[in-house]
Amino acid sequence: MADLEIRDLHVRIEDREILKGVDLDVSRGEIHALMGPNGSGKSTLASTLMGHPAYEITEGSITFKGEDITELEPHERAKAGLFLAFQYPVAIPGVSVANFLRMAINAKRAGIGDGEPPIGVKEFRTHLAHAIELLDVDRSFTSRHLNDGFSGGEKKRAEILQMAMLKPDVAILDETDSGLDIDALRTVAEGVQKLHDEQGLGALIITHYQRILHYVVPQFVHIMLDGRIVLEGGVELVERLEREGYDQIRAQFAAGEPDAVRASD
Amino acid sequence: MPEAPRFSDRETEPGAGPTPSNGAGTAATRAPGAMKPGRHREASLYHALGGAGAADGRTLAQLRADARAAMAQAPLPVWRRSGFWSTSFESLDFDALAGGADAGAPAGVPAVVERTLPERARAGRIVQADGGVVSLMLEPALAERGVILCSLEDAFAHHPELVARWYSKRLTIDRNKLEAANAALWSGGVFLYVPDELHVEDPFEIVYAITRPGIAQYARTLVVGAPHSDFRVHEYDLAEDFDSGQALFAGALELYLQDGARVRLAALQDFGSGEVYDSSTRVVEVGRDAYCHWLPALLGGHLVHQHLELAVAEPGGDMAFRGVFFAEEQEHLDVFAVDLHETGPSGGDVHWRGAATGESRASFEGLIKIDPGAQQTHTYLQIHSMMLSPKARLDAIPSVLVSSDDVSASHGGTVGELDEAAIFYMQTRGFDRAAAVRLIIEGFFEPLISELDDEPLAGVVREKIADKLAAAREDIETYATAR
Repeated sequence: MADLEIRDLHVRIEDREILKGVDLDVSRGEIHALMGPNGSGKSTLASTLMGHPAYEITEGSITFKGEDITELEPHERAKAGLFLAFQYPVAIPGVSVANFLRMAINAKRAGIGDGEPPIGVKEFRTHLAHAIELLDVDRSFTSRHLNDGFSGGEKKRAEILQMAMLKPDVAILDETDSGLDIDALRTVAEGVQKLHDEQGLGALIITHYQRILHYVVPQFVHIMLDGRIVLEGGVELVERLEREGYDQIRAQFAAGEPDAVRASD
Repeated sequence: MPEAPRFSDRETEPGAGPTPSNGAGTAATRAPGAMKPGRHREASLYHALGGAGAADGRTLAQLRADARAAMAQAPLPVWRRSGFWSTSFESLDFDALAGGADAGAPAGVPAVVERTLPERARAGRIVQADGGVVSLMLEPALAERGVILCSLEDAFAHHPELVARWYSKRLTIDRNKLEAANAALWSGGVFLYVPDELHVEDPFEIVYAITRPGIAQYARTLVVGAPHSDFRVHEYDLAEDFDSGQALFAGALELYLQDGARVRLAALQDFGSGEVYDSSTRVVEVGRDAYCHWLPALLGGHLVHQHLELAVAEPGGDMAFRGVFFAEEQEHLDVFAVDLHETGPSGGDVHWRGAATGESRASFEGLIKIDPGAQQTHTYLQIHSMMLSPKARLDAIPSVLVSSDDVSASHGGTVGELDEAAIFYMQTRGFDRAAAVRLIIEGFFEPLISELDDEPLAGVVREKIADKLAAAREDIETYATAR
């Protein structure tokens, strides 16, 4: 049984159905890429997995580590070990990166079992120093207010920094590659790869483009069109996409096409 | 959406939008004397004290007598900002209150003082409870260096010439009944004098506490920073919690900075759960090349009107005027903050932040006033506010009155509500909703609180804000869900 199991997930926002039956499994230690054109429902899936209140699940279920989390609050999902790296991280003025991280770690700890004690100052500093190294950011970065006045690249680095500190089992990265220059992209991607290698992170990398996948290599690739996953396979799918683009695939799975085909079958 | 700058001499149409704060900094300079005809009446209600020379050579006894006459004659004050708010003290049963020395004083330091003030190193501490000073401590080394910290009554007795030179130099005595009552009836009081060249790192704490309903506390503070002195003052205005009855705090503070003196003045006001009225006037005069950093934290009173004026009186004076306020439940808060430049070159930087929960009402008017001849003045005013309840109301009006041409004066501000995107973001990091909201609000105030540059006091302010947020939790929740 996979750590994260998504079954027949239907999601609507207001009156529009965005996800029309998604099935997907992600486990610790696996790197998945979810690809698709704009408007195919990728970000909706990311937000829904984290419990965004605007998205209504009309059918299906989300199970995490054997527990149905479909009705859980976002913070409960975080405590269970899910993480979302935002496409557009939100600024939290007046709260330093270091403070935020310390409080987030403690919030998570407080929710485990009978409540674990808060992280010690020394332990926190050691973790933070290690994570900072991983991400190639300046030491002063952690005393700045979270995402407040950050460049696009800094915001994405801050997302990965949080991920490194909070040590989730499965992380969803929502278009983390968008708007990044090549150096930032490489840093971020290599950070994900390292967390996978060192901590056994499971990742669902949502992306429109192929380029991030040159730096972090997925074992599983899923292609989403119009609220459904229509193609699944290995890294060869990325190459096919690069050659053919979404249009060819769209033509193959034009609206009304009965069921998604597993390319690997 | 940015709006045209508003001037305090322009009446706003009734029924116009509730929040005239600008979405972004808007430059505003104003030609001298450009006032719309027939619109003076409104401006007269929120104008600068401009009280230079108020005592006008009168002795304390004469001032008390004149103030007593004004007090007897004047009605309870009502401040109106047409189309926005009205602050009326008419619900105060003034005649039923025992005021000044008649208020008496308890035997020791009230519990609320022990409870509120942080454990810390201090240069001195003076506590007035109700009508009299109940505790006084001054570091002996500082006394030896010539620092004076005592009740104002004692100061008049022991340092008459020094006190007479400064007393009521800028504080008027007859603009309204409560100001007059203070000038006529104050008892106890506080006098602090920091001599030339003396630098004191730890704060002087000035504490006023009301211990029971039925009294009027006329707090009267005079602080003088002699040339090139450098010190900190922390004022606490507190009250014990009580369930029934009214009490009045009518405060008056004047602080004078002589050439090159520097002060960091902070105030924490929280009158607890009782029906405490607060009508206060505080004025700081900044002398030649002197500097003042002033940060009042107004955290609670049943009905509050504060006139806070920072006047740069000599060339080279500079100031940072900060403030935070937090109104809750049924409280009504009316703050008028004046950034007054009587001469130039001078600098100013005004930055306030406030929040309102419950059914509270918070009104802030910030006025930049640059007098004729105050050339080369550069100042900026910003006010940011956060609405946390559907029934709370918060108005912020920045005004600029400029009578010199070689100056820059601008203002800006924001009125915000809780950002749901930020809450969701924090929830995905493991914070529950209440914790996320608390962190956002604390972050909203933090830029100013950290400017206190004093951890013990910053800790008290943070804790009080956290308590208020906890108390308003349900309210904030409902508001968010409703949206």
